[in-house]
Amino acid sequence: MTNRVVFDNVSRFYGEVLGVNRVTLSIPPGITSLVGPNGSGKTTLMNLMTGLVQPTRGEIGVLGVRPNDPARLCHLVGYATQFDSFPKGLTGYEFVYSFLRLFGYPHERCAKQAKAAIARVRMSEAAHRKVAGYSKGMRQRVKLAQAIAHDPPVLVLDEPLNGLDPLVRNETIALFREMAHEGRHVIVSSHVLHEVDQISDQVILLSNGYVVAEGQIQSVRGEIQDQPMQVWIRCNRPGALASRLFEMDHVVEARLAADGAGLLVKTRDAGRFYRTLNHIALDGIDLEGVTPVDDNVNAVYGYLIGEESR
Amino acid sequence: MNAQIASVIRLELMKTFFSRRGLWVYLLAFAPALLYLIHAIDVTRDHEHRQALAAAHPVATEALRSIKEGATAEQLFGAAGEPYSSRTIPQGRRARAGGFRNLAIYQYTDGDSDFTFVVVDGQVERINEQDRCNLQKDSAIFATVFQFFYLRLAVFFGCAGIFMNLIRGEMLDKSLHFYLLAPMRREVLLGGKYLAGLIAAVTIFVTGTALQIAALSWHFDAGAVSEYLRGPGWSHIAAYLGVTALACAGYGSIFLLAGLLFRNPILPAAFVLLWESINLFLPAALKKISIIFYLQSLSPVVASPDRGLSLFQRLLISSAEPPRAWVAITGLLIVTAGVLVFSGFRSRKLEINYGTE
Repeated sequence: MTNRVVFDNVSRFYGEVLGVNRVTLSIPPGITSLVGPNGSGKTTLMNLMTGLVQPTRGEIGVLGVRPNDPARLCHLVGYATQFDSFPKGLTGYEFVYSFLRLFGYPHERCAKQAKAAIARVRMSEAAHRKVAGYSKGMRQRVKLAQAIAHDPPVLVLDEPLNGLDPLVRNETIALFREMAHEGRHVIVSSHVLHEVDQISDQVILLSNGYVVAEGQIQSVRGEIQDQPMQVWIRCNRPGALASRLFEMDHVVEARLAADGAGLLVKTRDAGRFYRTLNHIALDGIDLEGVTPVDDNVNAVYGYLIGEESR
Repeated sequence: MNAQIASVIRLELMKTFFSRRGLWVYLLAFAPALLYLIHAIDVTRDHEHRQALAAAHPVATEALRSIKEGATAEQLFGAAGEPYSSRTIPQGRRARAGGFRNLAIYQYTDGDSDFTFVVVDGQVERINEQDRCNLQKDSAIFATVFQFFYLRLAVFFGCAGIFMNLIRGEMLDKSLHFYLLAPMRREVLLGGKYLAGLIAAVTIFVTGTALQIAALSWHFDAGAVSEYLRGPGWSHIAAYLGVTALACAGYGSIFLLAGLLFRNPILPAAFVLLWESINLFLPAALKKISIIFYLQSLSPVVASPDRGLSLFQRLLISSAEPPRAWVAITGLLIVTAGVLVFSGFRSRKLEINYGTE
């Protein structure tokens, strides 16, 4: 059994409308973020890998199981959708417990796993209150509890951080990391790019139903050749550093900071640039800090898809 | 699999029985029983009133029945005594209008029935005996209401509400995905949902039928009721309850399929209603392709369908030989099973696409 979520030339159309087109992916364990604006195909991709919609073309395998086999697939996958809707009249505990019973487990096991899942998202105190009375953040967490209750190796979460306050957001991100360290796939969609930067081991960038890039964010950034890499350097002699840098053919721009305490450098070859910078540091220029400015999702997304689509 | 089906049923029953959106189903199911109860209270009060009149103006039933048309007023008073109500029409006015000279109306009661004697010019011209409701008459009324209102409208729309909600309602509420993300075959999920709908519909509507029968027979004295039960009573009651349950099973399967196939199930529901309503006028062969045909043939008391129809409408009615009970029951169950199997196949293609709902 492969331990990857695989899309092989998958397309999905809703009548005339494109959902995703010719998607080929191989998602390893860890936290993978699907990034893209509304309508880019994130939810369609998630619905495809959880079997809620079937592909028009191509094949999907989730740890070797095809999504048209729900009896096997649903043991492997937990999915918290973006929909803020719940069966009526249930408490948080009843909600998690009842849908766990659909797995055919006995009462004792369901009760134990439901309690554990609710505790994991820190909802134990509110577990016996009606879901209808929960705040948005609590509903998000109880949805997450329902998705993880059967202990799936693949967790698919559509905008899971929406509505969470900063404290709970950090706790939830920590939970994702914990699950990723356990060897699970945690596939998250988000349009909040700085969050994606914080949590992702790899990203999949989507636009208009197409995958425009995938992989670790630094390697994706490195492949964008037409946009020079930007690096912010704080040092004691920025003017001297700038003149040294201009001797290199891959440096296209060096701009002094207004406060005179640093400069912004644009280079076409980050590898050579960093190696050169090490030599310069040995030549008496005191480098206080070197920070890449645009190897984050925000910048990569802007380069690949354009500012207007964000 | 059984545990999974039981879990689906548990979830669905909570939703169906306790949903505010489904209150109208209870109204449909129990409104006829309420009307029968009001009728029973009215009849009981009327009976008590007659008993009081009979005590104040005692007269034997035989004495009242011995008076025939053509008897004189003196003979009437001699046999029956003073009426509890008498009304005379002033001579001049009636004479101008109708040509007779003197008209009087005398009313008697023996406690059970009202006797009205219309006396013209001193002679009994017309006698009207209005007896208290009897079980035979009421059971004929019940048969008509049961077949033409309860089955065709109450159970029909109630099942539409319950069974269409199983899939389409969940789509509208955006909660169907919770079920589709459970590791069970779609056919099993659908079967569980259908069973839940059936349990709910049968509980609600069979209880409704039982309450109607209880309310209808409430005002009859115990002797009349036990005599009815010793005769055809129990088999009639069992038949009515059974027909109600079969109606829920048959209509339920159709509405489950409609909820699965159509984004707006009101249109197929309207079509089925139309088809079931024009059943009377369909040729014999087409009559048999309907739920109501079999249900009516299983009803223990024949309700006359052409009462209240014009001569032209009566000419359009075609008759088909009603099938034997076992044929009707088997036929209905086969149709239901067929619709469910087809629904099962269709459910494999069920997808979540809330955006277009």
